[in-house]
Order: sequence, then structure tokens, then C-alpha cells
Amino acid sequence: MKSSPIGLLVAVALGIFPAQSWAAGKSHAAGKAAAAKDSKGATDSAVVDADASGAGAPATDAAAAGDTAGSVTATPAPGGDDSATPGGGSGLDDICKIDPAACPNLDMDKEAARPLKEQIFAVQQAYALRVRRLELQLGWSVSMNDQFVSHPAPVLALNYYITNVLAIGINGEYYLNNDKEFNAQVRRSARVAVPLTEYQWAAALNFTYVPAYGKFAGFGDFIFHYDAYVVGGVGAISVRPIPVIDPDNRNFSFEPKLAFNAGIGLRIFFNRWFAAVLEVRDYVFNDKLENLTVDRNPANKNTWYGETSLTNNVQAQFGVAFFIPPSFDYRLPK
Amino acid sequence: MGKGRGMTTTKQKSLKRVVSVLAATLALCTVSASAQAQEIQLTGPLAGAPAVRKLRLHRKGRFEIAPAVSFTLLDEYQRTILLGGRLQYNFTDWLAFGAWGAVGSAIRISTYLTDQIQNVNAGRRAADPGTAANPNGTSLDRQLTAGNVGPDFKKQLGGIDWVVAPQFTAVPFRGKLALFQSIYLDTDLYFFGGPAFVGLKERANCNSCAGVFKTSTRVAIAPTFGLGINFYINKWSALGFEYRGLPFSWDTSGFDTAGGGKDKKFPDNRITDDDRRFNFNQLLTVSYNIYLPFQYRVSE
Repeated sequence: MKSSPIGLLVAVALGIFPAQSWAAGKSHAAGKAAAAKDSKGATDSAVVDADASGAGAPATDAAAAGDTAGSVTATPAPGGDDSATPGGGSGLDDICKIDPAACPNLDMDKEAARPLKEQIFAVQQAYALRVRRLELQLGWSVSMNDQFVSHPAPVLALNYYITNVLAIGINGEYYLNNDKEFNAQVRRSARVAVPLTEYQWAAALNFTYVPAYGKFAGFGDFIFHYDAYVVGGVGAISVRPIPVIDPDNRNFSFEPKLAFNAGIGLRIFFNRWFAAVLEVRDYVFNDKLENLTVDRNPANKNTWYGETSLTNNVQAQFGVAFFIPPSFDYRLPK
Repeated sequence: MGKGRGMTTTKQKSLKRVVSVLAATLALCTVSASAQAQEIQLTGPLAGAPAVRKLRLHRKGRFEIAPAVSFTLLDEYQRTILLGGRLQYNFTDWLAFGAWGAVGSAIRISTYLTDQIQNVNAGRRAADPGTAANPNGTSLDRQLTAGNVGPDFKKQLGGIDWVVAPQFTAVPFRGKLALFQSIYLDTDLYFFGGPAFVGLKERANCNSCAGVFKTSTRVAIAPTFGLGINFYINKWSALGFEYRGLPFSWDTSGFDTAGGGKDKKFPDNRITDDDRRFNFNQLLTVSYNIYLPFQYRVSE
């Protein structure tokens, strides 16, 4: 049973420590209450003093003298009587003791009445700094402009922020294709086949620029931050035609194509390292479509492909972003 | 052999472990309980203060007139550009009621699929024009498409003629945006919803449809909802972007695609309500919002 008492002591110690903190809070409250009680019939300055000192007792002089908070000056009391100032002789009084020449002599009433012309920044201190942080994005994308074949895909992206507004990164996605019933209906009704393309994967090297950031107050109660970015890059997309003209003979293989991409995105921060991401991006590539005519020798692979077409694959992406490291230091206080 | 000071039995060791674990658990519980208690000590000048002071109330008590242009998305046969606007009154800064209306019959742009069908169809008709006795020609393609594709395919397509949508708008998010760290704009993000009355032009129902490609109009009632974001340019105007969903069933192509066979999923050589397909119609809207009176209020 040798270690059990130690454990109990630890428990008691840990229990006492926060209890004291809690008690301190109570004493603040008690101090406030006491000060308020003292100041009844006098002034509100006692409450101010109680907050400043955390004790409440030093407020009594000012309260008894009938001073108000506004009339308290930083001028030392004659004879160096510290008790005339709130806080019990600290702050400005110390300066005056050390160097009376440097002792500030401010009339707080006048100072308070002066118009404030301090510069206020519209958006102070960006909530989440990105510089020298790695962003990991996980998401799901859906096609926005292909009414014939939908291309949902899981997306993974990594971006490293060289500056607070510029990042270099890579992204990749693996497509799941869904040939819609609508295609068969058109073929049956109009006896016209439109060449279809399915995607396998895409990968790209990207640059991201963050020109805009801001914040929203939700329901007038809580505030969340967001930024908007533009992204562009170059990479590859692996595609192949879905055989609809001569599906009995044609069987296409996936081929990677050079693809350029450009898009815009919105990132909503839940905290300084976790955000939701909404993005719309267009992947542009030169697609080789299925030949609309069937050759006399349908097994000849050279006749399977028809015209090429510049294809826009517009995708909307929804996901989350993790910033690593999760914490950072501000270079400046503002 | 007696038990020395350092010698313990297995039973005693187990008891030690149990007591130690209980003590540690008690300690942890005490710590977390106290930490929770500390949270209520929040005092100071900002205690109980609102999240935002002196908020410019761009909406409260103001009428909003917003000329708007809307673009349909993911259209199969033709894209529609709707010209219209939104008129609403903002009761508070977070709640408004009004209506969005637009006309879509003016600007319609056919898709690649429509052009392709029209070109193929024109070629077939040129190659097999038919006769007075046999107007649908003699080729298999002409005969099989006689009830589906008219001489001008674009004229049989379904289209949105107009939309009127009374709607409530909730504005839960209000904020500001720094652009290039030099341009600062007030913004808000809003959600809206309500019923929509949609004037449609579709191929008219028919029982013997070969060569008959008349259109008719009807009004569809559908839910409409979406979200938007406003960028306030000055005290009385803003630029708005909006996404709207408008789901309902309609016949976009004029094809006989359903009504017969198992589950009515096969053609029945008639144009009926069964040929309508459910479409999740989507629109993107750009608007220029004007607020009246021109001066906004400011919160405390």
C-alpha cells in the first residue's frame, strides 16, 4: 500500500489547486460585492478600483472621499501618499518615485474627451496564417457540365504555402463514372448517338493564390473566418471513350491527356487548422472521341477514334482542409 | 519466513494498483471539474458584449430592388438565360420576404446535342423527303423517329417561359471581406426558399403523334430554394450571386420515352404526362441590388 497514499496526495493536491483558482474568482466577486457595498451612496469608482486591484480594500479611500473614477488622476499625491491613487501605489506612481521628471501629468478627463483618431483595420490580424504551412485537402467532387456521364470522384490535395497568399501543391482524384439513362433514351428516340467519355484519374501541379479573406458573424453571435482563392495548374487526366456507336467491336483503353486547370475556392475556418472547402475548377483537355461511323473492318483499332474535341470538365468540390502544423505565431501583434 | 518490509504478496500488489488507479481517476475528475468551473469566471469589459458592435444594417427596414440575370445549368437540350429581378422587403437584418421573377423565353441557346440531332435529322429528311402518301419517308431511321423528331427539332423542345417565386430569405451570416488587402466590402450570406410558379412550353400531348409537333403551355408549381452572397458596394447597392434549385418534372425534349411496357418505361407512341422526367433544374443568378431608402441604419 506504499504508493496508494502518494496517489491520494496527488489527488488532493490536484483537487486543491483548481479549487483555489475557483476561490480566487469568488474573491473577485466578493471584492466586487464588497466594493459595491462600500460605494453605496458614494460613487461607482469603488467598483472600478475593486476590479483593478482584485481586493476591494484600496477602494475605500476614493469612495470615502467621494471621488469618481473620472476624477482620478495620475498625478502623485502630495508627499508621495500612494493611497490616494487606485491600486495601492503601483504603475505610474512607481515611475514618479524613480524619476519625478518623467512622471506623467495627465488630466484623465481631458484625455477621455479627446476624439480618437486611431487607425482601425477593417480586418484585423488574419485569423489563420498560411505561410510555411502544409494544407491537406480531402474532398468529393461532382461534375457540373456533363449531362451525359456524371464523374463523381474522391479528391486529395496537398498545398504548401510559400507566402501567406501563395502556395504550390499537387492534387489527385479517382473518378467513378455513371452513364445516365438519358443517353439511352436519346439514342432510342432520335437514333442519334453522342460520343461519351469516361475518366479514370487526374493529377496536377497547382499554384494557389489567396486574394481575399474575411469573416462572418453567424446569427450575430459567433464569428467564423473564411478566405477565397484562385487556383490553376497543369497535369494529366486519364480518359477513354465509352463505346456507343459500335460497342460490340470497340473496346477503348484509358490514355492520359495533358490537362490544364483553373478554378476558384472558398475556405471556411472552424479553427486555425481545420476548414471546410468549396471549390469549382475547370479541367481543360483535348479529348479524342469515338468515331461516329463504323468502318468495313470494325476490328481495325485505327478506325475507332474520330475527331478530337477541346473538353471542359467543370467540377464542384466539397471537402475539408487540415493545416499542418496546427499552430503558428504572429509576426506582429496586429 | 516472515514478511519483510519490501516483500508484498500478489493480493497486496493488486490492491495497490486498484487504489492507485482510483486515486488518479479521482484526481483527473477533480481537475476537469475545476477547469469547467473556471470558465464561468469570464469577467472584464467585454464580458457579455455582443459579437459585433456598430454593425451597418444594410437590410433592416429597407426595400430591395434587384435586377437580375439567371443562367440555367446542366441543360440537356438548350440553355436558358432568364432576365428578371427580385423585389423584397427586409423586416430585419436577417429576415426578408419578397419575390423573384424572370422571363426565359427571350434568350435560349441550343446545346451540342440539339445541334447534332438537328443536323442528323435534316440529313435524313434531305435523303428521304417522303411523299404525300408516305410523308414519313421509307427509310428505317425516318420511320422510327417520325413521332419523335420534327422538321425543326429546336421548336419542339421544352422551355421555361417565366418564373414567379414568392420567397422568404434568411440572412444568418453577415461579415466583411478584404480583397487584395486594399478593398474592403461588407458581405452577407443568405438562404431562401418558397414555392415557384413556372410557366412552361412543352410539346403538346397527342395520341397519334407522327408528324405532329405542336407545343402547349402549362404552369408547374415547384419548390425553389438556394443560397446567395451579397457584396455591398456602397450604402445603397450591392452585387449579388445566387444559386437556386428548382426541381420539377417536365418534358424537355418532346420525345416519346415512356408510358408503355413494364412500369411505363417504354415508348407508347403517344406524348403524355408520363414522358415528363424529373429534373433538378439549377440556376446561377447575378444581380445588382438597390436598397431603399438609400441610408442604412447602424446597430448599437
